[in-house]
Amino acid sequence: MIGFANSRVSFTAKLFEINWLLVVLIFLVGLVGVIMIFAATDGVWSSGASQHFTRLIVFGIVMLGVALVDTKVWYDLAYPAYAVALLLLVGVEFFGVSVNGSQRWLDLIFIRLQPSEIMKLAIVLALARYFHDLPQWRVSRVSGLFVALVFIILPMSLILRQPDLGTTLLVGATGITLIFLAGVNWKIILSALATSLIAVPLFFRFGLKEYQRARIRTFLDPTIDPTGASYHITQSKIALGSGGVSGKGFMNGTQRQLEYVPENRTDFIFTVIGEEFGLIGSLMTMGLYFAVIALCAWLSYQCKHVFSRLMILGITTTFILYIFINLAMVMGLVPVVGVPLPLISYGGTVIMTVMFGFGLILSAHLHRQNDLPKSHV
Amino acid sequence: MKLQSENIDSAVITRRTAFLGLGVVGGYGILASRLYYLQVTKAEDYRTLSDNNRFNYNITLPSRGRILDRNGEALAINRQDYRLILIPEQVKNLDATLEKISEILPLQAKTIKRIKTDIKENASFVPILIDDHLNWKTFAALNLKTPKLPGVIPEVGEGRAYPNDGVFAHTLGYVGRADSKDVANDKDPLLRQPTFRIGKLGVESAVDKTLRGKSGKLKVEVNAVGRIVREWPEPNAAAEHGNDVWLTLDAELQRYGAELFEEDSGGLAVIDVVTGELRTLLSMPSYDGNLFVSGLTQEDMNKLNTDERRPQYNKVLSGGYPPASTFKMVVMLAALETGLVNPEDKVFCVGKLRSGNRDFHCWKRRGHGPMDMRAALKNSCDVYFYDLAQTIGIEKIAEMGRKLGLGEKFDIGISGVKSGIVPDAAWKQSKLGAAWRGGDTFNASIGQGFVLTTPLQLAVMAGRIANSEKALQPHLIIGENLSEAGDLGIDPSHLAYVKEAMWSVCEEPGGTAYKPNGLGIKGLEMAGKTGTGQVRGISASERRDRIRKNKELPWKLRDHSVFVGFAPYNAPRFAVACLVEHGGSGAKRAASIARAMLGRALERDGMAEPIATAREAPL
Repeated sequence: MIGFANSRVSFTAKLFEINWLLVVLIFLVGLVGVIMIFAATDGVWSSGASQHFTRLIVFGIVMLGVALVDTKVWYDLAYPAYAVALLLLVGVEFFGVSVNGSQRWLDLIFIRLQPSEIMKLAIVLALARYFHDLPQWRVSRVSGLFVALVFIILPMSLILRQPDLGTTLLVGATGITLIFLAGVNWKIILSALATSLIAVPLFFRFGLKEYQRARIRTFLDPTIDPTGASYHITQSKIALGSGGVSGKGFMNGTQRQLEYVPENRTDFIFTVIGEEFGLIGSLMTMGLYFAVIALCAWLSYQCKHVFSRLMILGITTTFILYIFINLAMVMGLVPVVGVPLPLISYGGTVIMTVMFGFGLILSAHLHRQNDLPKSHV
Repeated sequence: MKLQSENIDSAVITRRTAFLGLGVVGGYGILASRLYYLQVTKAEDYRTLSDNNRFNYNITLPSRGRILDRNGEALAINRQDYRLILIPEQVKNLDATLEKISEILPLQAKTIKRIKTDIKENASFVPILIDDHLNWKTFAALNLKTPKLPGVIPEVGEGRAYPNDGVFAHTLGYVGRADSKDVANDKDPLLRQPTFRIGKLGVESAVDKTLRGKSGKLKVEVNAVGRIVREWPEPNAAAEHGNDVWLTLDAELQRYGAELFEEDSGGLAVIDVVTGELRTLLSMPSYDGNLFVSGLTQEDMNKLNTDERRPQYNKVLSGGYPPASTFKMVVMLAALETGLVNPEDKVFCVGKLRSGNRDFHCWKRRGHGPMDMRAALKNSCDVYFYDLAQTIGIEKIAEMGRKLGLGEKFDIGISGVKSGIVPDAAWKQSKLGAAWRGGDTFNASIGQGFVLTTPLQLAVMAGRIANSEKALQPHLIIGENLSEAGDLGIDPSHLAYVKEAMWSVCEEPGGTAYKPNGLGIKGLEMAGKTGTGQVRGISASERRDRIRKNKELPWKLRDHSVFVGFAPYNAPRFAVACLVEHGGSGAKRAASIARAMLGRALERDGMAEPIATAREAPL
């Protein structure tokens, strides 16, 4: 408490106190991305790999900057950030730019913003602060739960309208996870589970119009999807499977070379890992992710405040969900949804969100002993 | 309230984190076991699938053998052909793709319908032809566009082409896409290739197996949109090209024949009287076989179908025509062979002969006066032959006709050869259910009535008379369909008599086809016989007043002009038969063409130098 409570503590000392292990792990995952993008683009450094590397450095610096900001600032910004993100989502609804039939972007002249990405972090901040402020006894009460659910449902419904089912579910799952972590009564959890098991099919049958049902069926069963999602999955499985235990060797993947797997620079980059480095490479990549996840859980455990703990866990949850959904999709376990493999897939938006998130995690850990206000709702 | 204002217990968060941690580990377990399943258990299967993705065995088309004339001149060749094909399984949106193609290469509704039918009827990996015979400009433009159109592939292949403006069309036939019947009869995988062409008619069809060759296999590495990235040629897998086929025809001579025909319609055959090789086999007018290769337009089709001269009809092989007076040699030989007739005996021609209550007329209304056999042929006196036929009867005549090749369906390898009709009592009974009458014999004796022959048969007849020893067999494709020529079985002295009479027709003043120096070759003479085939009945009233001249009649009612002959007279080399549909008197149109053909054939054979004067005025 002494020393680090003082905000005027020397910059270098503070920098030194950052959890560098996490920084190194993140950078390693990012490097896997650089190498695999390099392979996926037939060894053309400039068609993705170099950009990915640059982003890694730039957003790495942003991450460290975020880490150095006192958690209290993030605590204070939690609700405003959530409000801004919500407003931006509403803005998308009216002024958004449509890309590929989906209205997700907001053109702010100097930058193209994807408010749903901001919301991924804002929802964690907002709920972490909400539960931080909430007295224990209200967590399992209707009043306490109701506000938390409104926090979740508002952005979900806006993102669903874009439409972006993947992000909607991601935000929802993260929110629900945070409610669970906050210690909601098991009885409520189980009864909610039971209710949804009954309600969802009923809603599907009676609450939806036929065309909406058709849309959901298409989403659940790619074989009836005319856009060829099943083709993606088949080719993706062939790429992984033909890699075998040890893989075909770096830059030797035929599925990749012959462009059988679409989007293998972005969402399907894991197929390149699986094809060229086999089971060994795949498991090593997953192991690297596991190290990041485990370390984050450990960092959360070391924190004193509910806000810090939940923020770390919430962001980690988003990270885990990204990984799980992407891998399950690539391996043909779930339908194709446009979810990238964080830090490895090419694409600026996600790497920015994820690394900003890790900045918050590092910040929470760095300022784990600092005081936070205690203002009950 | 104050007691309950405690913050959320950190221990709860830890417990729940641990709980979720178990979930994460469980999720990792599922993902890892799935990876194990894909990359270890099923690895072999997926490796095979990956190779399937990577490699395709493309069927490579053999080059079709050429068709050559006897001197090696190509009558059917392969030309570079630019075309566009489509692989249905790689096309995402067919309509949009076809629309994109249409921006450069306009596709008719008919073509689009055909493409869609093809797609429906074939497996999705079978390439479908969009269009062929593209010009270079279109092809180049398509090459720029197709990289953005998965499944659409521009290709350079070989296409069949027939030079010579169709002079050989009836004989060569043409090639076309294998239809369902072809595919059912022939299991060669080549037939399923969209750009493969199979012989449809004529020589192309008859020796298709020889010309076709064998398909090859080419292992190619293809990318996801089917574009070939690399080729992996394997030894022994190359296509075996088809063999060239040589014909007995003389291209130069046949072209000359077509020239001589001008706008007329008919058939012309020139045959080697020693070997039976056909030097010319021409049906006029002809059509352009190239049109059939590239796909006939409705306009072309209508043009061919509405022409009253029937360009598609192979008149030289399939056309049954009354041989008219050229049949008189048959009657003559039949009579001489019976030994009942003395050729010196004269018959007095008064222009007609009465049989029962009917008059049978001679072409010369006032009659020829006294005629012996030689004079009767030279002047083509009908009355003499009525009398002769009456003496020997139809059976002997029919027998001789068959000996000389009439009524026979010769196997020259290609389809369309017809047998014609050599009538006798049995034939009439079975075909018409009526008894043979004396009048029928009269009509037959001058090659009218029921007698029908093809120009090919007439050429063989002339050839057999000229050869005098062997029953000449016509022959078209070198090395194929050779049949041994048996003995003719006719007394050579009788043949000599007939040949001499035929000589007098052409070379003696007063003969129906007499022309001084007719062959136009010094020291060589020809022999032959004219015929004028009547295609209309002449009423008694018309005969009484005045028989209308051919020029006064509509084309369809004019007489057929026929001529058969051979040369040189003293050492026969070639025989010819020419039939000009509605060409009027045989002495004119057919005789002049046949004469010029014989002259040119001998000249090309190196038999003789042409006479300079004759050259200046060939006809």
